[in-house]
Amino acid sequence: MTNPTKLLIIDDDAHLRESLAEVLELDGFECHQAGAAKEGISAAQKIEPEVVIMDIQLPDSSGFQICQELRKRSKTMILIMMTGRFLSSEEKKQGFELGADEYITKPFDLAELSARIKQLLSRNASRG
Amino acid sequence: MASKRRGKLAYKILFWFLLISLGPMVFVGFQLVSISQQSLRKETLAMQESLTVGFADTVQKYVTTFRNVLTETSGLEDFVTMSPVKQQQYLNRILQIHLAVLEISVLNDKGVEALRVGRFLGPNPEMRDFSREDVFQTAVGVKGQYIGRLERFQGLYPTVTVSVPILDGRAGAARIVGVLAARISLNPLSTMLAMEFPATGKSQAAVVAPDGFLIAHSDPKEIYKPDARLSEDVLKVVTTQSSERGGGEMALPDGRRLLAAFAETRDLGWIVYVQQPIEAANQSAEEMRSQIVTVLVGVVLVTVLLSLWVAGHITQPIRMLKEAADRLGRGQFEDLPDVVTTNDEIGDLAQTFLGMSESLKEKTGELIHAKQELEKFTKFLEKRVDARTRELKAAQDELIKKERLAAIGQMASVVGHEIRNPLAVINNSIYFIKTKLATAGEPDPKIAKHIKIIESEIQQANGIINEILTYSRQRELKCERVQLNAWLEELLSVYPLAPHIQLEKILARVDVPVDIDTTEMQQAVRNLIGNAVEVMPAPKGGKLTVRTYMPEPGWAAIDVGDSGAGIPQDVLDKIFAPFFTTKARGTGLGLAVVRKVVDRHKGRVDVESRVGAGTTFKLILPAAV
Repeated sequence: MTNPTKLLIIDDDAHLRESLAEVLELDGFECHQAGAAKEGISAAQKIEPEVVIMDIQLPDSSGFQICQELRKRSKTMILIMMTGRFLSSEEKKQGFELGADEYITKPFDLAELSARIKQLLSRNASRG
Repeated sequence: MASKRRGKLAYKILFWFLLISLGPMVFVGFQLVSISQQSLRKETLAMQESLTVGFADTVQKYVTTFRNVLTETSGLEDFVTMSPVKQQQYLNRILQIHLAVLEISVLNDKGVEALRVGRFLGPNPEMRDFSREDVFQTAVGVKGQYIGRLERFQGLYPTVTVSVPILDGRAGAARIVGVLAARISLNPLSTMLAMEFPATGKSQAAVVAPDGFLIAHSDPKEIYKPDARLSEDVLKVVTTQSSERGGGEMALPDGRRLLAAFAETRDLGWIVYVQQPIEAANQSAEEMRSQIVTVLVGVVLVTVLLSLWVAGHITQPIRMLKEAADRLGRGQFEDLPDVVTTNDEIGDLAQTFLGMSESLKEKTGELIHAKQELEKFTKFLEKRVDARTRELKAAQDELIKKERLAAIGQMASVVGHEIRNPLAVINNSIYFIKTKLATAGEPDPKIAKHIKIIESEIQQANGIINEILTYSRQRELKCERVQLNAWLEELLSVYPLAPHIQLEKILARVDVPVDIDTTEMQQAVRNLIGNAVEVMPAPKGGKLTVRTYMPEPGWAAIDVGDSGAGIPQDVLDKIFAPFFTTKARGTGLGLAVVRKVVDRHKGRVDVESRVGAGTTFKLILPAAV
């Protein structure tokens, strides 16, 4: 039996974190949570998750900065950006350059999200 | 009437004309009157003098006639020798012949009356003694005659006594033997004077003795007085004259002025005196003066009328000029009064004036033209300014709209973000519940239904947020060239249409290329199709018509029509306004987004609707060149 995939959710909204985590746990993910950027980065260092889902706007930092920080440490870590608003192409482009793998807009189509994460994980696995 | 009015100039001319023409005339006239008055007075005086002298002669002759009668009688050769009876007969004959002889006496050599014959004597008259009186003494003296003894017969009419010596020449040398004396009435003199100077006239004439005894007078009333005398004043003047004759003006103490002439009667020493009031003497002169005055008045009248006419004639062209100038002053260049161009300075003035008015007309025309040009230009400028102002206003409105939209967008994005979080949480939670229930077996159908309702509401809420965010989004237009028909067909092919909606596509034969931001235009067309579908609900449904065509060269159009209920006119005016909606649930941003998108593409959106028949929206976009 393989270890469940570790997943870190960084969002300042506790309900969102929890609900998302519990939904994804139904799909077999091991979900960890962080409420702020600093906390998120240290958690990522400790847990070494394969997937990080983070909000673009956090009280102490921008999601893009965490994204950049985490990408520096790991080339394979799957970084998914959450947003509550429309992002311009420029913003999206900037995010991809900083290492983001995917954008999702609240509220999420959870089935689709789960499938997408799995797809990205399997791609990583195939690359080895 | 203004043309009848005489100007001041006319009166000035009149004044000078009168002064120049009449002044000397009046002066000469009065000089003439004065001269003629003087000469007339002299003439009158001379006439009066000659009359006086002539009368003095007459008086002298009158008296001399009777003396001669006496001399002849006394000189008769046989008178001395005549018997007293014969003498008396003879003397009676004289009385019969000469009516003026009142009484004749024969004095003897002693001076006593020897015979006395008279008209009013009785049969035996008294014989008087004249021996010591001048009647006798002077007659027998060297002088040989006597004229004197002025008396009033019976106290009334004057008489004079004339006596001559009776000579006896028979013994050689003549010897005075007596005196023949006669008393003679002087009334005939008065009668003569009265005839010459009738009482109706103003002249008076008198014969007077040096002592003032009035011998004769032209006025009978003067002479028939017991003590008739010439007035002392006149007498004094007359008797103090040294010459025998003369005349002139005489001022009486009572202020009357007389023209008087006098002449002394030869031998007798009587004075003939003629007077007339100076006014009478001047009468002719006065008449002449009044005639001259009449003539002068006539001349003045004629001159005034003539001058008025002349002045009017001279000033007429000037007045016409003035009137013309007045009209020019009021800016009336047409119908100027006829300016008479006479061949003189006024004519020159008129010519100059006409030239001036022509040039003025020309200049004014130019000015008016310039003014019109200026007005045109001003209007043009005003229009430009108006247009620019409108543009500015529109730009400002646009800016305000944009700012407002930006503010709405900002708020919407914040609100959207904030709502999306709880929406995401609800979504997560309901997904969790649904998944959990599914794993636990077949859930209660009611729970499943309510889960679906929640999911649907989440979708709807998200849709609303999306609409607001789409409308308020500030993003760059990213145009790409597409073929309109192809692009539209692709869009329709992925649009899920319910079976009760019948789609009719009428596409233009030529596929027009357009430059559009496909994302935004897709949103616009989707909104229109969405609206169309909504007004044709099941089960009745309806026909959705999508049509492309070129309404005019350079433009492409997409019509989206429905067969729904149509939109009333009062609603039609507001449908593009943001947040206007007739739906129970709607943001009122669908058509606002359509308009915003079309505006951003420099196109326009029209709508045609008939209540009960349906509505057609027309997106008109510039075709790509």
